[in-house]
Amino acid sequence: MTLLIKAEFRRLLATRMWGGLLLAAALLGGLMIGAMALVGPENFDPPMPGLDTETGLRSILGILGYTAFVPAAAGTVAVTSEYRNRTAAVTFMFAPRRGRVLAAKLATYAVVGLAYGLVLAGTAAVALFTVAAARGVSLGLPAATVLALLARIAVAMVVYLLIGVGMGALIRNQVAALCVVIGYLYLGEPVLMMIPGVNTLYPILPGGATAALTDFTYLADAVSEQLGSDAVQLLPPAAGALLLTAYALTAAAIAVIVPMRRDIT
Amino acid sequence: MTDHLVIEVSRLTKRFGDVTAVRDLSFTVEPGVVTGFLGPNGAGKTTTMRMVTGLVSPTSGTATIGGLPYGRLARPSRTVGAVFDANAFHPGHTARDHLRVYAAMGGYPDSRVTELLDMLGLAEAADRRTRGFSSGMRQRLNLATALLGDPRVLLLDEPGNGLDPEGMSWLRGLLRQLADQGRTVLISSHVLSEIQQLVEDVVVIRRGELVAAGPWSRLAGPPAVLITSPDAETLAASLTAGPADGGPVPRVEAVGPDRLRVHGLDAPSIADLAAVRRLRIHELVTENTSLEQLFLQLTTDKAATR
Repeated sequence: MTLLIKAEFRRLLATRMWGGLLLAAALLGGLMIGAMALVGPENFDPPMPGLDTETGLRSILGILGYTAFVPAAAGTVAVTSEYRNRTAAVTFMFAPRRGRVLAAKLATYAVVGLAYGLVLAGTAAVALFTVAAARGVSLGLPAATVLALLARIAVAMVVYLLIGVGMGALIRNQVAALCVVIGYLYLGEPVLMMIPGVNTLYPILPGGATAALTDFTYLADAVSEQLGSDAVQLLPPAAGALLLTAYALTAAAIAVIVPMRRDIT
Repeated sequence: MTDHLVIEVSRLTKRFGDVTAVRDLSFTVEPGVVTGFLGPNGAGKTTTMRMVTGLVSPTSGTATIGGLPYGRLARPSRTVGAVFDANAFHPGHTARDHLRVYAAMGGYPDSRVTELLDMLGLAEAADRRTRGFSSGMRQRLNLATALLGDPRVLLLDEPGNGLDPEGMSWLRGLLRQLADQGRTVLISSHVLSEIQQLVEDVVVIRRGELVAAGPWSRLAGPPAVLITSPDAETLAASLTAGPADGGPVPRVEAVGPDRLRVHGLDAPSIADLAAVRRLRIHELVTENTSLEQLFLQLTTDKAATR
């Protein structure tokens, strides 16, 4: 197992993907959050509550959580590239117990997800506090709370990366898997949120669980207000965390079990 | 280097939906020689080799290596090396990166990677990304990957694809050397000329079924002799009259004016007989059955249904 994890790290570190991924984390965390804080949510179109309010601050962080499709896509690419580049046959000949290969990939990418989450949260924290200090805005939440919320977002990134790995192992075709993962997380969930009836499911979808983690209700509230439907009630943060863990475990189980007996042709 | 491993395929069947790719196939591959796995495109060669390496699970039947199915081998990459796809690399990996991934997986040191890069003539290309590799370099890197664990068994699926004549000649040399070391080498091909000089045993399949298996020399039978003689008719009559000592009668085929093909009697005996009868011979050629002829004979409908 150690050998397999070592191999997966070598496989990853030899490509340019990991550097790009961490750069994306720094850009999304530092640049995007910095820019949003600089402009100020009160100047958005439509205007949102400012950084000096709890809602405004949670919204900014919620938008950061919404970028989770990026690590999910990275996980999907990582697994499907083995099929796309036809190295899967070589890999499974070196390690015929395929479940262990996928378990090694999950372990490797959990570390990668954590690194991604830490860079994302770290740069976001730096950007947020620096810009707020520069603009003389006092944040709507105590610094410790902001950091705790960012830490939750960091952990959510690990979960999403693993969901990406699971979906990649299930679908195998790189383009199709990416369409499903990005399409669902980026577009599908927000659309589901707008469909009356279906939107009651939103709290138990990955996006809803992530939003619950940071108590980010602004988007859901705005949508229900727009549609005149009842406000969607998110789960409590702890329940959201449990649900996300369940999603990660399901994705991991899919990743380990599905390739077991499938023919590699 | 003492364990000699036999590949044993026994009553192997694989169905993909309604299509039966391999049907009740049995054969063995012996160590110490290169065995050619022959058949037209779509005969089931790749599917069979993928079942031997555990990539495809058989519908029924078994394939074992040294008595064990692939999945039960203790360290599979030490036992079996296989090449299936001509291009099985991450395009952004260098040759060394690629080998180091699988060296880690099999538990081999980095020195083994360097050794193989040198052995396969990839030392100069070692740190270039594989996306720029020629097909010859790709094939070398595939072989290097397969040889990482110094395996006793080597399976190559259509290794000649994309190799130029020089590359093919290099590959033949390498494979013969590996077989001479007592390894079991199975190489599939539909281009027979490229492996004709290499293989000693052949397994021929057609539409997923076994057509013939065994040493090529036995399947090919004794060589025929082609004679050009102005006295062809008289010579044919003398030949079919049979030898004085009552031995087997050769079979004589007229292949044109003044030309005969004789089966079952070698060139010196024919020449001696002609000399005794004072018949003129202008040309005497021993014709070895080419793999191609044998293959066509074996895989035509008549042969398959007999």
